[in-house]
Amino acid sequence: MDLQETQNTLVRLFNDANAQFHKMPGSAIILRYIKSSYQDDPVRSAIELLLFLFAVRYMLSPSYSTQKKVKLTEEEIDELVDEWTPEPLVAATTPTDEAENEKRPVLVGPTGPKSKLSNGRTVTNLASYNFYNFVGNEMLKEKAIQTLRTYGVGPCGPPGFYGTQDVHMKTEADVAAHLGMPACIIYAQSFSTISSVIPSFCKRGDIIVADKAVNFPTRKGIQISRSTVRWYEHNDMEDLDRVLQKVTKEQAKKPLTRRFIITEGMFENTGDVSDLPKLVELKHKYKFRLILDETWSYGVLGRTGRGLTEAQNVDAREIDMIIGSLSGPLCAAGGFCAATNEVVEHQRISSSSYTYSAALPALLATTASETISMLQEQPEILTALRDNIKAMRAQLDPRSDWVKCTSNVDNPIMILTLKPEVVASKGWNTEDQTQLLQDAVDECLTNSVLVTRVKAYPLGLGVNPRDEGWQPTPAIKVCVTSGLTKKETEKAGITIRHAITKVVKSNKWSK
Amino acid sequence: MPLDAKEIRRRRSSSLVYTEPPESLEQLSDQAALPNLNADWVNAKGAWVIHFVLIVLGKILFDIIPGVSQETSWTLTNISYVAGSYLMFHYVRGVPFDFNSGAYDNLNMWEQIDNGDQYTPAKKFLLMVPIGLFLLSTHYTRYDLTYFIINTLATLAVVIPKLPAAHRLRIAFFSPPPDDA
Repeated sequence: MDLQETQNTLVRLFNDANAQFHKMPGSAIILRYIKSSYQDDPVRSAIELLLFLFAVRYMLSPSYSTQKKVKLTEEEIDELVDEWTPEPLVAATTPTDEAENEKRPVLVGPTGPKSKLSNGRTVTNLASYNFYNFVGNEMLKEKAIQTLRTYGVGPCGPPGFYGTQDVHMKTEADVAAHLGMPACIIYAQSFSTISSVIPSFCKRGDIIVADKAVNFPTRKGIQISRSTVRWYEHNDMEDLDRVLQKVTKEQAKKPLTRRFIITEGMFENTGDVSDLPKLVELKHKYKFRLILDETWSYGVLGRTGRGLTEAQNVDAREIDMIIGSLSGPLCAAGGFCAATNEVVEHQRISSSSYTYSAALPALLATTASETISMLQEQPEILTALRDNIKAMRAQLDPRSDWVKCTSNVDNPIMILTLKPEVVASKGWNTEDQTQLLQDAVDECLTNSVLVTRVKAYPLGLGVNPRDEGWQPTPAIKVCVTSGLTKKETEKAGITIRHAITKVVKSNKWSK
Repeated sequence: MPLDAKEIRRRRSSSLVYTEPPESLEQLSDQAALPNLNADWVNAKGAWVIHFVLIVLGKILFDIIPGVSQETSWTLTNISYVAGSYLMFHYVRGVPFDFNSGAYDNLNMWEQIDNGDQYTPAKKFLLMVPIGLFLLSTHYTRYDLTYFIINTLATLAVVIPKLPAAHRLRIAFFSPPPDDA
């Protein structure tokens, strides 16, 4: 009886379920599919069923993260917060820093070939990049004031966002025309030009072959780009050839990446110039692109100040990117990158320091345009400076027993390092040399000549001093200016030479 | 602490299978710097519909070619979908945009989706589509053995790399050795 009832219930339930299933939309399709799929082949059906079951299992699995995450309790979080002491943004001043700060000369009033210090003395200023004394040019001042009256102080916006004014486009055209390049882009700061240009073209996996002695902003740019870097010995074209050969061989089987040679036209810390024809030859031979930092050579080298390309008779279009500065000798501010149209337009949206910082003030853009045309129209400006460089050099390089000048003959920045044989005989280490040269700089200042020193690269955050890489040799930096007469320059040169001799022969250093 | 992953990215030339090591701190911060447009679209509106649209379009395309039977047409649809999705999700690595300084260069798109999380809705859907298409196409090819084998192998080629066990797994035969930098 009970069995009968159960059976009846079951049959009823089954019938109901069947009817419900048939009422369901699409049930006929499923039935037909299952019926036709069997087709007397259990193996295939089994494979399909397995796949179906796997799909159901996958659907029902809960999601999880593959990233390792540390779970902390509230107490642990509080404890960590309490324990944390922020590192100072700026390190505490050391006694050396304090001593240096105390002696640091402070200029009062405008800079110029003769500057007034805060202690009331007037000194011959050979520590500013005022090579052509455009700072004291009344005509430039007048033009700047006129621009200021029309355009205001600054555009107050990045170039891509209401910051570009007609004067900027004119400056870009002027620089491009001066260099003989198809296009040019103006940045608002000289330092951040190359450190932004490099990362806008390179990323992980790209290859950069760079000179060991490139300046600090270039190094920063290489670092930000996260590219693979291979260094070659400073200005050693044979070593460059070797490195390029090695890189090409290593990368032969890998997918093609962007490859760059990065070097300076005139080196900030050694003063010498690159061998551009050889660089161009190697770049073509190994199919690399060449980024040339002309920060210190633009406006200085060549007959009309076009830089290294003019000085060494190389077509500027052979170089993929020329980076230069409008501050310093050109008496304006900012930097530029001259290249082909495509390379320049790419930077307008993907170079961080162009897109994210306010555009160059209009009055500086017009000043740059003006000084560029002055250099082109009056080559005697450049020859006057070169005469002064020659006069200064004659007083220092062959005449001094202690220092030699590593700078190029046309470089107004004279880098004076201690002669290696002197250093070797006295056994001075880098620190001693730095201290000795600082003493010499102080001695010069006592004799009313303001010069400065080449500073070491700051150590990166968390970088072991062992891995600091190339560092400039301690040196005195003398910036020649055409604002002084030849006689004044010679006199300053004699002062510097005597100051160095006096310091080296003093009791402190002669032992 | 070295920020570079150079030390951990080493692969012995003799080993056939290796697992992509976890990213360095520097790489992680670059990955997080901007949204990953390469992988984020799978969660966007309409991203799921496009699969069906493409499959239907493919089917129509193969149908209008004269002399193609229904069996061949379904098999071709299945194979072309599988080939396309394998190329897109499992073969090509990195991101086509320069947003993350190449921090995703070692990961294929499947590994980039949802930051590598497993069994997320998008991944479930993307696994369902080839399986569903396989069941459909075997049905319409009337269980011909040749077509069945072709379809099965094609489907397995996209199902196996999608398994959580295959996450960040590299097999020397299918992928070139990684950069050491």
